[in-house]
Amino acid sequence: MATEFEELIGFLSSPSPQITKAAVDIVRGLTGSEDGLKSLAHYANVVLPSLSRLLAGPKEVSEPAAEALVNLSQDTDLARKMVEMGMVKIAMEILYKPESGISKLLVMLLVNLTQLDAGIASLLQTEDEKMNGLYVMKLVRSFCRSSSETSDDPFEHVASILVNISKQEAARKLLLDPKRGLLKQIIRQFDSSSPLRKKGVSGTIRNCCFEAESQLPNLLLISEFLWPALLLPVAGNKIYNEKDTSKMPLEVGSALSIEREPVTDPEIQVQVLEAIYLITLQDAGRRAFWSVNGPRILQVGYEDEQDPKVMEAYERVGSLLVDNSGTEEPSTEKSN
Amino acid sequence: MALWMETGSEPTTQSEKDDLEAIEALKHSTALELKENGNQYVKMGKKHYSDAIDCYTRAINQKVLSDSEQSILFSNRAHVNLLLGNYRRALMDAEEAIKLCPTNVKALYRAAKASLSLNLLVEVKSFCEKGLEHDPNNKELKKLAEEIDLRRLEHEQREAQVSRAVAGAKDLVSAIEDRGLKIGKAMFQELTGLRKPTLDNNNILHWPVLLLYAEVMSSDFIEDFCETDMFSAHLDMMFSDTCPPLPWDKENNYTRESIELYYEAGSGVCLSKSKLLRYLLDGTAASHVESIDVDEKDATEGLNYGISAGEGSKWVKVGEKRTLHDVLKEPNFIIPGIPVFYVVSKRSSFYKEFKAGKWVPPP
Repeated sequence: MATEFEELIGFLSSPSPQITKAAVDIVRGLTGSEDGLKSLAHYANVVLPSLSRLLAGPKEVSEPAAEALVNLSQDTDLARKMVEMGMVKIAMEILYKPESGISKLLVMLLVNLTQLDAGIASLLQTEDEKMNGLYVMKLVRSFCRSSSETSDDPFEHVASILVNISKQEAARKLLLDPKRGLLKQIIRQFDSSSPLRKKGVSGTIRNCCFEAESQLPNLLLISEFLWPALLLPVAGNKIYNEKDTSKMPLEVGSALSIEREPVTDPEIQVQVLEAIYLITLQDAGRRAFWSVNGPRILQVGYEDEQDPKVMEAYERVGSLLVDNSGTEEPSTEKSN
Repeated sequence: MALWMETGSEPTTQSEKDDLEAIEALKHSTALELKENGNQYVKMGKKHYSDAIDCYTRAINQKVLSDSEQSILFSNRAHVNLLLGNYRRALMDAEEAIKLCPTNVKALYRAAKASLSLNLLVEVKSFCEKGLEHDPNNKELKKLAEEIDLRRLEHEQREAQVSRAVAGAKDLVSAIEDRGLKIGKAMFQELTGLRKPTLDNNNILHWPVLLLYAEVMSSDFIEDFCETDMFSAHLDMMFSDTCPPLPWDKENNYTRESIELYYEAGSGVCLSKSKLLRYLLDGTAASHVESIDVDEKDATEGLNYGISAGEGSKWVKVGEKRTLHDVLKEPNFIIPGIPVFYVVSKRSSFYKEFKAGKWVPPP
């Protein structure tokens, strides 16, 4: 004799659209509460497949189904089960179906699923040699082509997906691969007005810098995009004089010669300082940093800084540069 | 006399047995005599070596001597073959001698010498070692063994140098390809010599860069221009206030503010991967290497880019605030072996002529 709850769950797969609609709305409501989540978790093996099937349906059922899944995926065990049943692939397929209408929710679902290593592997498609990296490329393209100008910015949360996956070496290698040019595209989003996008960019760059030892060229050779993203947030609020900016590359120098919005996000500042630290740990990275007058920028930025965590991050880079100074100026031997 | 016995028939009578014994004894003394003759012939010098061989051979063919005596015969013949330069035959004889008597140190020595001449270094070593087992103080064997060790070491070191050079050049080729740079035939080699780009331990490229003062065709070098450096930094150093003016620049036209840098666009043909590898190996330990494995799947052999020199070359100005990498990766820049930049001064009267495209670099 099925309980009421079991009946409800059964209705998710009902042939009648009105019944499934009613059922999915109720289930979505349940995912909003602790108790509801617990009860549903018991029946995960039935609930999850049923909900994922509804994702392919019309918006009136796919939307609540997606919302329910997003809520459910906040639980690690349920997230793992979802990854195991191929939820990443399902989400990606529906995401790129025209007019699926639930893009934002699907992206948020992927954010939660990529909190798990298995979810990351699934998104990277590491097992499939031909398709390897295809999902990531698609997401990056969508991230970069859309913007926060549109009313709901459905791909905004790709920023968080990128931060999540870049915790794994395989993802970092993919993003740094110069032939695909993914990091170059992502860095441009740094100018966005959306704090989420900005944070995603700085977090992703910082993670990628963990590859600095083996992949320094792939970071340094996109310098015209990299340095502005790393240096502007920690350059302080003053206008720089010509003596200083003349030693900087154009993109950085011209931005620092004018009035600009004060930087307000300490998390981003700490992240870019950590990225700079990782780069300057490498000989060639230090050299490149000196060549763009980086240390001077940090000096000026530090003067105005108040946040203790950010100050600590400045100091860490500073002491690394001091310890290793004296070998950084470009050496030119003239010979006729 | 029962000299020729039919096959299958055994000597049965005592007299038949006696006869056979007598024959054996005769053969035995013949063999020994032949050996003595052979030894004498050797002492008589080069002209008689083939006679010596003949004697030893006949002695061997008597097939009556004991193994140890037979071994000496083979060993002696090996010795003469060595003297005659028949190293293969000497080795075979020596090996036969060793087979018959493994403690025959002379034979082992001769086998080692023959192997040495045949460049069979491993065999030389093993014969020496066997010989030294039986005669640990044998000076000649010791000397040979040492010589082999030395030769082996030298060989290995050379091989290591060569493979290092090849690996280094291959890394450079990869780095150049990864950056999408185009390298063409080297120009001005009388000025550049054997200078090559290098990769530092962070895999960043460093280039030697040639600066040509077009007006007088004088040259300067930037020995180490890191690809992440900006041009302005190097120019600041070269034309700083403390630097003396260029000796030929009588009017002091070439100052930091007045100079401009240009590169020649689209001149020449891109080297194929294997030609590029050859070029990079030129002047290194591996410059003689015959064939190198090169994956030519993205062959860019002989791609001709637009304008060729002399046809009104296109001069592209270099923005000083750009990094070397940025400029080198320009699609119309074919690096002539190593990068070449032309320096002109806005203040000089030569400037107009240059900008109008009327000047062409001399061949």
